[in-house]
Amino acid sequence: MRLPKFEHVQPSSREEASRLLQEHGSRARLVSGGTDLYPRMKYGLTRPDVLISLKGLPATPPTVDPNGDLHVDALMTLADLARSQTVLEKTPLLSEAALSVASNQIRHMGTLGGNLCQENRCPYYNQTHTFQFVEPCFKRNGDQCYLIPKGKKCWAVFSSDTAPALISLGASATILAPKERRQLPLENLYTGDPLKPLTISDGEVLTEIIIPCPLSLRGTAFMKFTLRGGMEYAALSVAVVLDMENDGVLCRAARITVGSVGAGPIRAGKGENAMAGQRLSKNLFQEVAQLVVSETHPFPHHGYSAAYLRACLEVETRRAFSLAAEQITRNPGDPG
Amino acid sequence: MKQIIELSVNGESSEFAVEPQETLLEALRDRMGLTGTKEGCGTGECGSCTVLIGGKPILSCLTLAVECHKRDIVTIEGIGDGNDLSPVQQAFVDCGAIQCGFCTSGMVLSSEVLLKENPNPQEKDIYKALEGNLCRCTGYNKIIEAVHKASEQMVTEQE
Ligand SMILES: Cc1cc2nc3c(=O)[nH]c(=O)nc-3n(C[C@H](O)[C@H](O)[C@H](O)COP(=O)(O)OP(=O)(O)OC[C@H]3O[C@@H](n4cnc5c(N)ncnc54)[C@H](O)[C@@H]3O)c2cc1C
Ligand code: FES
Ligand code: FES
Repeated sequence: MRLPKFEHVQPSSREEASRLLQEHGSRARLVSGGTDLYPRMKYGLTRPDVLISLKGLPATPPTVDPNGDLHVDALMTLADLARSQTVLEKTPLLSEAALSVASNQIRHMGTLGGNLCQENRCPYYNQTHTFQFVEPCFKRNGDQCYLIPKGKKCWAVFSSDTAPALISLGASATILAPKERRQLPLENLYTGDPLKPLTISDGEVLTEIIIPCPLSLRGTAFMKFTLRGGMEYAALSVAVVLDMENDGVLCRAARITVGSVGAGPIRAGKGENAMAGQRLSKNLFQEVAQLVVSETHPFPHHGYSAAYLRACLEVETRRAFSLAAEQITRNPGDPG
Repeated sequence: MKQIIELSVNGESSEFAVEPQETLLEALRDRMGLTGTKEGCGTGECGSCTVLIGGKPILSCLTLAVECHKRDIVTIEGIGDGNDLSPVQQAFVDCGAIQCGFCTSGMVLSSEVLLKENPNPQEKDIYKALEGNLCRCTGYNKIIEAVHKASEQMVTEQE
């Protein structure tokens, strides 16, 4: 399978990349590892004339700032992220999510930034359309959906594994535009619209992720549900962070994010509220898991029906709670 | 517009003028005649195009040749020459871990990296290291067996 023609530009800095993106406008696209973009270009789903490549730029290793917060370079490969000792100590949840993406080879190529900015997917859209003599679907500028016949909207799902983990960790993203650098909570990066999944514009570059690491008792868990268990996009994923009172049994605050079953990652706010201030117990986990399912409305996708996904989501959320509760530990920076 | 690049493959450097859209896979197979690297899917799903860049396993079907300028590349041809096999290759032969052979170069390279990083892998480590390499023939059991065997062999050799 061949890539279509394009012009390839290797900027010497992120600032230059952002300037070049602005200059070339909609003709240009940013590329990091290319593991999401190149397959789409080979299928003919997108045809940029110019590729601005971040591949040659070095990634800064993760650092901890004076507040104890973790800074991760968006250009870091998922393999380096998964094996970084600093990340493992500060936020094992992120290491786990990074390690669950695709395969060893893809983790050595794919970056955190590319993972967070990947396109939404659907089994109809993500293939070559050369020999199909039918009207295009919504995502190819048509007005129908082949996945849900007579569907009035696009049902492509956002399948990043690191996004739910980072949103549950309360991460924020640093965005570089030609004239400014700004920060936004990572969950605000996503629009919830499958046709335009990201809120950032074409001239903007995601450069860094900042993860707050409070000095408190915390338990975390990441579950990725797939059919085969090997390299596979998630049927669904759920990332849970439980911040505990000092006694270790009362939950002070919870963050729950569900991935791969919607047009973007979904925060389960009702579930989070129901968990806060409660004593952890099996019954509570069951109740909150049901609440999470009721507020999530999973999209049917890749052969999974909505009913099946709802049933799996309840089980996986409950498991995530139990696992997080077992792993409650103090932040290594905390004197105790 | 073509760009001149220098590719260092299996210790030998050569220069080529390549189009930006040319993948490393195409450069290796069509320009250098190194056909041990295979194209299965071309879209990142099968791992048969695996090569090592700077010792790390990557997919040559999703890597641009222009981005490999002066990088150290190792293909299956750099692992053994057909007579002199590496312990991993020998174990694949001994265990019958090859049928049609299309996945084999990728499987061997992924296993080489695994054993270098973790000379004594558990079964779950082998699964994880090879999850991006599909085999449509062997049913995987013999491949897993071969990696175990190569690991034992390499550990005894070191002692
Ligand atoms: C077989 C296969 C299996 C996969 N399985 C998974 C999986 O299980 N889970 C998962 O999450 N993903 C999976 N992926 C998708 C993809 O490989 C990963 O998401 C990877 O992390 C993407 O990173 P990249 O650097 O290669 O992105 P690229 O392909 O370089 O970029 C992806 C998109 O993000 C944009 N972009 C890249 N970097 C930036 C930046 N710094 N700022 C702004 N925009 C940017 C690009 O313009 C492009 O539109 C899979 C891919 C394949 C081929
Ligand atoms: S040909 Fe590269 S992964 Fe299949
Ligand atoms: S031996 Fe035929 S694909 Fe693996």
